Amino acid sequence: MDKVAIVGFYQVKPGLDIMMSPYEMLFEATRGALDHAGLKRDDLSTVIGCNNDYYDGKTISNCFKVEAGGAYMKDESKVEMDGAHAMMYGLMRVLSGNHKLAMVYGISMPSCFPYESARILETDPTFDRPINILNGYTAGGMQMRAYLNAFGISEEDIAKVAAYNLKNAAKNPLALPEAQKTNISVDEVLNSELLSAPLRKLMYPVLCDGVTAVILAPERQARKITDKPVWITGVGHFNDTYYLGDRDLSSCSSMEKAAEKAYKIAGINDPKSEINVAELFGHTACEDLILAEAAGLADKGKGLSLINTGKLNPSGGTMAGYTPAANGLTRIVEAVKQIRGEAEGHQISGANKAIASGQVGFCAQNNIVYVLEGGE
Amino acid sequence: MTLNIDEEQDVSVTKGMIRAEFNFWVGIVMDKFYDGLQEKKFIGTKCSKCGKVFLPPRNRCGDCFAKAEDFIDLPETGILKNFTVTTYKISERKTRNVKKDQIVGLVQIDGADSAMVVPVININPEDLKIGMKLKVVWAKNIKGDPNDIAGFEPIGGV
Amino acid sequence: MANVQPAVISAGFCEHASKRSDVNMAELVNEAVEDCLNKAGSVEWKDIDYVINGNMPAFEGANMPELWMTDHMAAKNKPLLRVTTGGTTGGSVFVSGYYAVASGLYDMVLAVAFEQQSCGNTTVGLASVALGELSIYPSLGYEATRLRRNMGAGAAIGVASYQAMNYMRRSKATEEDLARVVVQNRRNAAKNWWTHLKMPTITIEDVLDTPYISYPLRFGMVCPASDGACAVLFTTEEKAKQIADIPVYINGVGSYANEPAIIGVDCGGAGQTDPCEQLGAVKSAELAYSQAGISFPNKEIDYAEVYSPFPNQELQWVERVGLFEPNSAPEAYLNGVTALNGEMPVNCSGGVNSTNAIGASAMERPAESALQIMGKAGNQVPKTVHTALGHGWGGAINLISHVVMADEPQRKFK
Repeated sequence: MDKVAIVGFYQVKPGLDIMMSPYEMLFEATRGALDHAGLKRDDLSTVIGCNNDYYDGKTISNCFKVEAGGAYMKDESKVEMDGAHAMMYGLMRVLSGNHKLAMVYGISMPSCFPYESARILETDPTFDRPINILNGYTAGGMQMRAYLNAFGISEEDIAKVAAYNLKNAAKNPLALPEAQKTNISVDEVLNSELLSAPLRKLMYPVLCDGVTAVILAPERQARKITDKPVWITGVGHFNDTYYLGDRDLSSCSSMEKAAEKAYKIAGINDPKSEINVAELFGHTACEDLILAEAAGLADKGKGLSLINTGKLNPSGGTMAGYTPAANGLTRIVEAVKQIRGEAEGHQISGANKAIASGQVGFCAQNNIVYVLEGGE
Repeated sequence: MTLNIDEEQDVSVTKGMIRAEFNFWVGIVMDKFYDGLQEKKFIGTKCSKCGKVFLPPRNRCGDCFAKAEDFIDLPETGILKNFTVTTYKISERKTRNVKKDQIVGLVQIDGADSAMVVPVININPEDLKIGMKLKVVWAKNIKGDPNDIAGFEPIGGV
Repeated sequence: MANVQPAVISAGFCEHASKRSDVNMAELVNEAVEDCLNKAGSVEWKDIDYVINGNMPAFEGANMPELWMTDHMAAKNKPLLRVTTGGTTGGSVFVSGYYAVASGLYDMVLAVAFEQQSCGNTTVGLASVALGELSIYPSLGYEATRLRRNMGAGAAIGVASYQAMNYMRRSKATEEDLARVVVQNRRNAAKNWWTHLKMPTITIEDVLDTPYISYPLRFGMVCPASDGACAVLFTTEEKAKQIADIPVYINGVGSYANEPAIIGVDCGGAGQTDPCEQLGAVKSAELAYSQAGISFPNKEIDYAEVYSPFPNQELQWVERVGLFEPNSAPEAYLNGVTALNGEMPVNCSGGVNSTNAIGASAMERPAESALQIMGKAGNQVPKTVHTALGHGWGGAINLISHVVMADEPQRKFK
């Protein structure tokens, strides 16, 4: 794979209700990313947006985001999955050689739409949807039970992960203020309300409004734009079947395949020792562990050990505030900050190789993972 | 056949499709499945290549990308592969805490290779065990729609 | 950068109709995928290493339906990407198929676009394109009566009739000219196996006999709402040469975005004051032609498929993409230039005017163009087609997709 770098990024500080119009919010992010990279809008040649028509309550939601997204008279397109998937398309466009500078953004405003209801619309309309008991909560609950049973792990262990994430979020200045809990105890997590047994409220992320934007450039341009380019050295993307009964929910085969492919491209043989930071998009505290194990950062069932090393989700991960359609990009930006040494308050010293992931679907059906590296 | 869903009410049958704000044609194999429910019978499909049996039926096997249009009658019993207990009800409009335990099970019918997400009833959540044998409970009024499956209960009680 | 020349080796369709009630969405898509793979020679589903799909999300009421449909489009244990951009969805999916190969990351890419409009209410979905912004209008001092007029502009017919008025003012085209386009399309559709409205004997009088929907567009001029799907297989130049008799090389792609027409964002933007001007289409075409090394599109292009649910748009697009001089298209249609045996055949598949499964329509355009180059189209033109284009539009007529294909690869200038 030819070298492509992330040369600029911007994350709008998320909020439960951000008190901005989506276009104001989007403009802040796209303008911010351009300013961060020291570029003008004219320099861009392509813009890939990530938003979802159901989340925006609007058919063809990208057609009104043309101006604020910086896409006026630019080669524009939209990916309707996660921001990390949109970056895949941006990456393809840059790799093709047709484009020299790509803006990718992800946006949604859960304060304006019922996210869990929108997920109901993802279910099989010929069976699951009319029965209407498969949803984000119950899928998360079943996944957690499968994981606990498969490896003899206790609910307390998952609560530890949730508390670890929420404590990390407290150190992340761009985390949702409501998710920043410096003094949270494991008991507090274990005593929080049951969403879908054994999944509890504090193991599930808080939804928030937000936008994240990144700018991609090929090697030659990247070196001119910034002194600290962060290279995308590997990418893997895989999708599993929809049917939960066909999958082993205690692991995540699509993430395993995606990570394997990304490591192969990046030339990583031993992810356990080579990867310094992992910013993974887990939909629950339990899924963070499942994804980390699938990515080969720990043996199966031993993911809990990662919270002692601190390299899993130093930003707090999805638990630091979950913006649908933008979260994958936020994970990527957090990993980029770690590599650039700019993660204020939650910097892992010496971080130079990171992975970041994005996903869509129940129990992480469709995963995409990037290997990001600093230096030359 | 068709199904009609109203948010607060039960599912009702009209002609031709599932109505969930929008209408969905149920298609080749699910049509047969719902016909089967009308006779209190599970009808699945079998992959023409690897022989995997799907319930609810699908007309393609994901592993072989081969046709799965041979119908096969399946029993009323199965095992509990996974479960969760929730008090939340999420509709296409809102999320509500109904403060009443609802057991959601992943039930694999004997002889099938896939599982379906269905309610589990007539059992206390504490007594649930993965791998336990279950049997379908049919609804009082059989209409040939998803609500014909009132749920699954343990065989012989607990 | 990766120096890969993407090519199309196969295109498949399912039968289109107003209600495909015999199949569900997944089975509908599966038909097109099977058709595409059946026509792809030695390629098997296992060879596919990337799957891209798209449809208009809000029309059927299913969010990211590809997750559920994974098994039906051969995407299990493969990467699956969803690209949606409104009316251009099919075109955007086609373009992303091109980029997936051009990036050098993947070399056998399946792109699928579909719509099962009988599952939902399309006009309600389209109205939300305009009405999503409506809530804030009263706070800006908009009167209720003006608000109602804006609502009329929401659905596609509203936008199209403004466009038609603007085009007719510029070009002096008559209603008869519009009807002539419809007649050509629907007679063509009768000869193509997968199309929806097949009308082999329709006449201009028949079209002009139908009532107005929104002046100057009559009922008989408006596209139908169809159920259907289209699948296209992309690969690299090297592999295409081994697999296909006549590989179709994608030499240029462009998808410029304009400001939304009619109303701007939050009523703040100016919008496009003249929706038939179409700067986005002009620039997309320029970009694609420059990549393809085409200097004189009106001479170098042999065949065109443009996205025209309404007949005035067909006249307008063939001009904007550089096939005809401005305002000269009505005359070309009158003289039979665009007919099956003409010098510049346009929409011999029957076009969107005869079949509109919205999400799929913009992919069916380049797919049909590719089939014309291969010589395998349902309604094949008698002359040999070397270079062809496929065009799509969507959004509030502000999004464009433009693809130029040929039987010879165009080496990129680096």
